[in-house]
Amino acid sequence: MSTDKTFLALADFLIPAHGDMPAFGSVCTFADAEKALDFRVDLKEGFDRGLDADPALSAEAHLEKLNKEDGGAFSAVTTIAICTYYMNPRVRELLGYPGQESVRYDSKATQIYLTDGSLGHVLARGRKYRPTPGL
Amino acid sequence: MNVESLSERGTRARRDEEVDVVIVGAGPSGSVAALHLARAGLSVVALEQGEWPEYNDYTGARPEHELVSTKLWHPNPNVRDNPNDYPVDTSTTDINPLMFAGVGGSATLYGAQWMHFLPSDFRVRSLDGVAEDWPFSYEDLLPYQLEIEREVGVSGLAGDPAFPPRGPYPFPALPIGSVGLRGALGMERMGWHWWPGSNAIPSEKFGELNACVRRGTCLTGCPEGAKSTTDRSHWPLALKAGARLVTRARVKEVETNEQGLATGVVYVDANGRDRRQRAKVVILCANGVGTPRLLLMSGGAKSPDGLANSSGMVGKRLMMHPFASILASYEDPLDSWRGPFGQQVYSLEFYETDERRGFVRGSKWNCMPSGGPVGVSGATGSKVYVAEEGRFQDFWGANLHENVARRFGHSLIWGIVGEDLPEEENQVVLSKNLVDSDGLPAPQIVYKVNENSNRLLKFNIDRCLESVRAAGAIETLVSTPVRESGWHLIGTTVMGDDPKRSVVDQWGACHDVPNLYIMDASTFPTSGATNPTATIMAVALRNTRRMIAERRNQKVA
Ligand SMILES: Cc1cc2nc3c(=O)[nH]c(=O)nc-3n(C[C@H](O)[C@H](O)[C@H](O)COP(=O)(O)OP(=O)(O)OC[C@H]3O[C@@H](n4cnc5c(N)ncnc54)[C@H](O)[C@@H]3O)c2cc1C
Ligand code: SF4
Repeated sequence: MSTDKTFLALADFLIPAHGDMPAFGSVCTFADAEKALDFRVDLKEGFDRGLDADPALSAEAHLEKLNKEDGGAFSAVTTIAICTYYMNPRVRELLGYPGQESVRYDSKATQIYLTDGSLGHVLARGRKYRPTPGL
Repeated sequence: MNVESLSERGTRARRDEEVDVVIVGAGPSGSVAALHLARAGLSVVALEQGEWPEYNDYTGARPEHELVSTKLWHPNPNVRDNPNDYPVDTSTTDINPLMFAGVGGSATLYGAQWMHFLPSDFRVRSLDGVAEDWPFSYEDLLPYQLEIEREVGVSGLAGDPAFPPRGPYPFPALPIGSVGLRGALGMERMGWHWWPGSNAIPSEKFGELNACVRRGTCLTGCPEGAKSTTDRSHWPLALKAGARLVTRARVKEVETNEQGLATGVVYVDANGRDRRQRAKVVILCANGVGTPRLLLMSGGAKSPDGLANSSGMVGKRLMMHPFASILASYEDPLDSWRGPFGQQVYSLEFYETDERRGFVRGSKWNCMPSGGPVGVSGATGSKVYVAEEGRFQDFWGANLHENVARRFGHSLIWGIVGEDLPEEENQVVLSKNLVDSDGLPAPQIVYKVNENSNRLLKFNIDRCLESVRAAGAIETLVSTPVRESGWHLIGTTVMGDDPKRSVVDQWGACHDVPNLYIMDASTFPTSGATNPTATIMAVALRNTRRMIAERRNQKVA
């Protein structure tokens, strides 16, 4: 099997369709995974080793073997699969994740804990610290 | 002058020039010393093995953030594998020390949680019969704490009954968000202490710092330039006052003369050449691992056990605050990828000793957001929530989707920082096997989590589970002791009055070498249980002020 097919088979086993969420291969391509790998050249060797598969093994058996025998390769393949998937705009939309967005707020707005009494309870429970002896 | 153009001002001193003060390390402690000494008119050179931060390299605002930051901005230098860091031999430790090399130091990656130590932290022997009292008190340090808060631009809410009364913070507290409110709800239902988080993140523009926009990637570098680090808060002012800062300068030795006085340092420059910086006074600010490492590398044949080590205490009593974290998921949305990633809420309910609990001293809890989908999946990365021997299928396939659906946007993390008691066996030594990119011996950490800490963590985890469940948690995941949690590096050149039992006096001057100073957390006799940077910077300021006041009496070579 070619490496792209091997990777997609492993990625679809790791990230199958479930509920509203699509399988890896229905939203991401091998090219997306390669782009992700460009951000993490340290994973390249492990990734290549991880895709050097025995065609007789199922995706699950192959991952099982990698996990036991070559942690570096297992980690490289799984990291690239999961990060590529959750970087995908469609996946983010389904999750309701806009990314690490910036949020405007009014720094002077009165915070709710000051008006709903909750911080008042903390104050009512009284002093907690032990003072410096002899002061 | 803006921050981006500062790096061009990193000039070194003229060959053979003797400066008043050379400082090793440009993190929070070294930055405080440099700014105040330069303002007092002393000639100052700081040597830093790392470089100026490049804000474009902080990936927080980009889609690849979770992928890139787990390597490039990992807090463990062994994982980052950057030649500017030194590696650490962690073969003999339960906890990995975490740090960063650069202008701004380890705070480049800190959570900016800003906490003072409490009065009892300075009096542990008097109050609890353990370890030693500090030579000074909470009250002695408070004016310096408040001055540093103004320099740093801290946001917070005064009036916390867990502390003695104090004046207002420079900036209003950041919004605590749905995560903080949910954390607080659990504490309220238990009738326990909580307080809105204080953070070194101004809520409004301040000097070179921009207002925080809650991007939530503080622990991997703030792309907005909002988290307060000294490349923005201190160095622009220090350079303006005349201090000089040389980056990619790794100090390999503190030199002394026949009389045992420091004469300067030798460092390896960016081109791998040895250079000498002569100075009347040497200040080490290289953190609780880097400072003892440098002393152990110095001293030559005259002091085979390392410089300033007649007490034998250099490197000993390492404290790293054993840590536990609890991730709790809830049915309703908490927008839990939003910052600050800092502390939204903290609790000091279990800070003080209660011996009925089976341990002494206590803990500080901080409530934080849980971050993006990759992190909360627990399937990859730091493995915080993954049992090493666990089946990989538990984290993949349908389980992955279900875990992410339950946790992502719906969870919070309570971090539990436990006070670490000093023990001489927990120490920094020089590795026999590992070297840095200049061939200098790496530090080796010999450290075991002690029985007091194990009991403390267990008790606190049980309480924390009660609190998150009281607020309706539908899932909880506990991780302890977290191996990648040596954020706080404390105690390895202890201060005290007795030169036989301590390395420096209460002003940071080495007993053995009176013109060699240490101004980082290495000097702390005990660790408290709060995040230490506020106290580190305040102690550095106190020492620096004293050095300036006593400059005419300073013994020099
Ligand atoms: C991930 C993370 C999160 C954290 N979160 C918090 C938090 O929320 N709140 C808090 O209070 N604290 C936090 N901390 C701790 C905080 O970063 C440190 O307490 C603080 O940075 C210590 O300041 P320092 O100047 O003493 O040392 P450092 O900041 O470690 O600076 C030491 C500097 O010395 C340099 N150096 C070392 N050896 C040499 C040498 N031989 N030659 C030249 N240069 C050298 C290093 O490169 C480094 O830049 C966190 C730390 C990490 C890693
Ligand atoms: S939450 Fe604020 S301080 Fe943290 S990364 Fe975002 S903007 Fe920076």
